[in-house]
Amino acid sequence: MKFNKRDPVYIQVIRHFKQQIASGHYEPGQEIPSRRELANQLKINPNTAQRAYKEMEEAGLIFTEGNSPSKITKNEEVIGRIRDELISEAIDNFVTAIRPINASLDEVIGLLKEKYVEG
Amino acid sequence: MIEVKDIKKNFGLKKVLKGVSFTANKGEITCLIGINGAGKTTIMNAIMNLTPIKGGEILIDSERLTKETYEKITFIPDAITMLPQMKIGEALQFMKDFYKSWNEERAKELLSFFRLKEEEKISSLSKGNTAKVNLLLGLGLDVDYLLMDEPFSGIDIFSREQITEVFTSHLVEDRGVIITTHEINDIEHLIDKAVLLDDGKVLREFRTEEVRELEGKSVVDVMREVYQR
Amino acid sequence: MRNYVKLVDFELKRFMKIYLTLIGIVIISQIVGVIVESNQFMDMANREMFEGSMSLTQFLEMYWPLTMSRILISGWFILPVGLSAAALIFYCFFIWYRDWFGKNTFIYRLLMLPTARINILLAKASAIFLMVLGLVSIQLILLPIENIIFQTIVPLDLRVDMTIREVINSSNGFASLQMLLPNSLVQFFAHYGIGFMTVFTLFTAILFERSYRIKGIIFGVVYCIIALVIFLLPSSLEMVFSEFGYFYPEELFIIEVILGIIVTGISIWVSHYLLNRKVTV
Repeated sequence: MKFNKRDPVYIQVIRHFKQQIASGHYEPGQEIPSRRELANQLKINPNTAQRAYKEMEEAGLIFTEGNSPSKITKNEEVIGRIRDELISEAIDNFVTAIRPINASLDEVIGLLKEKYVEG
Repeated sequence: MIEVKDIKKNFGLKKVLKGVSFTANKGEITCLIGINGAGKTTIMNAIMNLTPIKGGEILIDSERLTKETYEKITFIPDAITMLPQMKIGEALQFMKDFYKSWNEERAKELLSFFRLKEEEKISSLSKGNTAKVNLLLGLGLDVDYLLMDEPFSGIDIFSREQITEVFTSHLVEDRGVIITTHEINDIEHLIDKAVLLDDGKVLREFRTEEVRELEGKSVVDVMREVYQR
Repeated sequence: MRNYVKLVDFELKRFMKIYLTLIGIVIISQIVGVIVESNQFMDMANREMFEGSMSLTQFLEMYWPLTMSRILISGWFILPVGLSAAALIFYCFFIWYRDWFGKNTFIYRLLMLPTARINILLAKASAIFLMVLGLVSIQLILLPIENIIFQTIVPLDLRVDMTIREVINSSNGFASLQMLLPNSLVQFFAHYGIGFMTVFTLFTAILFERSYRIKGIIFGVVYCIIALVIFLLPSSLEMVFSEFGYFYPEELFIIEVILGIIVTGISIWVSHYLLNRKVTV
């Protein structure tokens, strides 16, 4: 995973997890690495990994039962919301980028369909 | 917590530290950044009472350094602190002989992590491996605070990667780490706090995540701002 | 205390290779010396008496019978002893400076040991003291052995036997063994006490240099001069006012002992201060 240098690292880590969850790469209830393992894998500060986990726990993205490793949420509603959020975020970015060009909506949708299927 | 309060130092007529203050917390990695000659190494030496200071005060967990403090804070300079004619095993034995806080188990673990052998003579090691032995001498101690002077300078990329791994591992867990560097790129994501130094003064002390979150700036952005002012 | 002992052990080990080489040179050179010198003397005796038809009496009148003390002033003895002395004097400096210079920075390690820093100094001084004692003991063991070799080569008619004590007392100059092996225990303590004091004073001067660098050289030299003046004051007073016989010899001795202890004490105290507050890596 590649980090950009201007966004807080913990937010980038959370985004990374959201993508993995939304794409189904992480399945509901799947165990995730400990904060130490994560720090080691991503070459980030363990405190940052800790912070990311804490925020994700609060947002209900992951959960921890007793002393066992943290797991991805089984709550379909939360997963659905993450998916919607990511899609909507991407669309927002797209719209912001395309609007200044003044292309018509039909034109954009046509091209979008073409490209999306190709890709 | 390590508190450096308004320390001053001269080398002859040259003022190398002109009232430096900052703090470094336990469980965090604090990075002193500055070009060569900014006073980074002198600050490290001063914290360890390896060089006298002219004014100010340094407190480690609210106390001044005594001989017992060397069991809970250690310094890894940029050159190895053992005799070149010693074997690695002898160097480790020396540490075991003198320090109560020496953790033999961890030393063994580090030895295999770095792929070093006890029979190897220090003088016969490559630059990267010498740096690893040097690191091992500090990391093998169960200390609360660890000071490292330019741990990445002048060593090959693979040794660099291995050493970076140390920082994200349990080997550094819960310790307070202060490292100096003039090259921030590799470790930007590793540090909790940056202290920008120039010409014997602290120009800015900040938490890296805070600067990213509140100002949307990278460490390098802040450096550019501060140093080009 | 345990750390002090460990440091002494460490300091001894560091110099052991060179030290054992020195001892080896002393042993070999002196033994070879006795054999060579004795044989040369015997060759001369043979030449003069058999080829030159000199009588034994004439020969002895001309050349004197050989003694151990005559052998002792040969280069075979003087050079290795001088070499050892020079090496140990040199090592008084090297024992400190080696920790600062070179690719390693061992002084960081020493100063960061969780032990009183004065132990570092005491250990270095003790190591040097033990090495001097070691060399002296080797000499003391060597002398009777050399005596036996000498007696085996040179027949009774051509030699005069001396006890080891006589040999030591007759030696003088560069190889003055009497200084190292004095006649009485009191003298022994006096000589080695002065040696100890000198080493500590020198160490203090070195630490001045290590603390203040160039300025420190001046401080160090001044410190040595002050120490010397304090120590020599009563004896020089005695010389100046000798006509009055200012002190009784016993008084002078006691005063010197006290001054020696004071100078050593001040040196250790100043070193302690410099090591804790002023020294720089």
